Amino acid sequence: MKNFPFCRLSLATMLSLSCPALAAEVSVDSTTVVRIEQRAVSGSPKQDIAPATQFLGLDADKLADGNLSLHFYGWGRYDLADKSYNGDRGDGSLTYGYLQYRFRQANGEVRLGRFFVHEGIANEQVDGLSARTELPLGFGLSAFGGATVHTRHLYGENSDGKGDSLVGGRANYRYKGMLELGVSGVYEGNAPTLTSKLDDGITPRYTNGNHRLIGGDIWLSPFRMVEVAGHSSYNPETKTAAEHSYLINIKPLKKLVLTGEFNEQRDQSYFYAWSMFSGAALNPSDKSRSVGGNVSYGVNKALEVTGDYKHYTRELGNADRYGAGVRLSFLGNALRSGATYHYLRASDGFAISGTPSASYHELRAYVMQDTKSFFYAVDVIDYIFRKKVFNESSAWEAVASLGYHITPALALSGDMSYGRNPEFTEDLRGLVRLTYNMTFDLKGGKK
Amino acid sequence: MKSRHPMLPVLVIAMLLALAACAQMKTLPSLPDWHPETLSVGQQMDCSECHEDQQQGTMKAFNAFSHSPAFVKNHRFYAASDDRLCTVCHKSSFCNDCHTNRVEMKPSYKYGYRPDREMPHRGNFMTLHKIEGKLDPAACYRCHGRANNERCVACHR
Repeated sequence: MKNFPFCRLSLATMLSLSCPALAAEVSVDSTTVVRIEQRAVSGSPKQDIAPATQFLGLDADKLADGNLSLHFYGWGRYDLADKSYNGDRGDGSLTYGYLQYRFRQANGEVRLGRFFVHEGIANEQVDGLSARTELPLGFGLSAFGGATVHTRHLYGENSDGKGDSLVGGRANYRYKGMLELGVSGVYEGNAPTLTSKLDDGITPRYTNGNHRLIGGDIWLSPFRMVEVAGHSSYNPETKTAAEHSYLINIKPLKKLVLTGEFNEQRDQSYFYAWSMFSGAALNPSDKSRSVGGNVSYGVNKALEVTGDYKHYTRELGNADRYGAGVRLSFLGNALRSGATYHYLRASDGFAISGTPSASYHELRAYVMQDTKSFFYAVDVIDYIFRKKVFNESSAWEAVASLGYHITPALALSGDMSYGRNPEFTEDLRGLVRLTYNMTFDLKGGKK
Repeated sequence: MKSRHPMLPVLVIAMLLALAACAQMKTLPSLPDWHPETLSVGQQMDCSECHEDQQQGTMKAFNAFSHSPAFVKNHRFYAASDDRLCTVCHKSSFCNDCHTNRVEMKPSYKYGYRPDREMPHRGNFMTLHKIEGKLDPAACYRCHGRANNERCVACHR
């Protein structure tokens, strides 16, 4: 019998609803989505696809002494018609599942199970243990460790290229509301040896490296209207800097935000552990750099305008992306609308293989309304290529969604989308969705 | 007379400092589990509508977390040091619709009724990714480098 992670999730969910949890505050979020698609790919028979996917989340708070909680989230899928993806009719994943104990002081917190970590330069998913606390005089400390959560094996390999263990953490110092400095690191166990070769039988298909980084981060706000944030990381495996990423926000008026950003990655050091693209084999001197800025201004409660610009530089060439947008809000935010325009001017080196240009316009407009009884949305997006891509001058898609609130927590909705693009002559999809989100009006509403 | 261990004074001082630190930590209040007040639709966007002050203890001013378009675009910087504050209003699953180990469908499919939310890869991104991936591979790597690469592996061999 196939043992899908989702089955384990469902079992854990039922167990968690047993006696101890009955005294707790339990909330459940559920989204059931049935997609209906017909696929026609040249050289293959037509397929009717109807995957039914269940997303399920459970949070049980105030367990034991009131500071313990249990959190689960995951999904499972079963194909009601032809197989939708790969060889299996069903699939599933436990996104997270952990016990958490929160201390009433110093934001102390301990987690045990599968969880995500965002600590400075570390962005990881771990099956293990994490702990953190604030310390006197503005200091803070966090640490995590455990087993790496693996993904699908690389083609021709018996691994995903990642090591089996992972430890890391962050130490930080905060000075009043003005400054935060952090030092963080992540150390993954030795990456497995990859052996598959390309068709010539000699050239390695993938080249990987150990995922180990150390870095520092800063947040500085000497005045309320100025804020600088960013981080730099260093790869001890390549002994060079991996990334510098910084932004500055200036808020001369409450609703006016001017932002500047700078990002630079040394490709080999930053992508060193990216097995799929053989990061460890990249040219050590190659860099990716982007510099840009944007401005957003809330004219009033109903109208917000934005503008942005970014310049990209790589060995392949350079590019500029610029554009503007408008967001509208009416009826106490129940009716929302927006429109954006962007243009990417890119060197031909960024073009899709076999096409002459990488430049394109992007236009998007949407409107949505959510009332106590019904809700709807219409969203249209169009990418217009400067020069045709595979004989198509654009890739566009329109999505219409209509739904009904059966109760404040339960809603039934359906989407239809249609588009034309270089991948598909026609792309028609349907979707039916049932959502259930528990709400707690006296606890700050639903999260 | 026996000589005392040379590390003994250091250990005593370290223990006293640890005790003092523990006593101090009891004066550092934690953030609440949930936002204590119900927020209306749209009100969640701007903390500074109600909060003029700085957060408890050594935390930052609330206006730094107002969800302006710039904040939404650059939320990674805030999540990297203050995700404890994010969890007062957002469950982890809110983040994991996009940032996850295995994504079942594009977030914009799951939330087709929320075109106002910032979500990656709207429209025919299958075509666009062949340009964007060369232009800014770091943007791909952040989500698909170490996780969530099942669909990438299918073609990139």
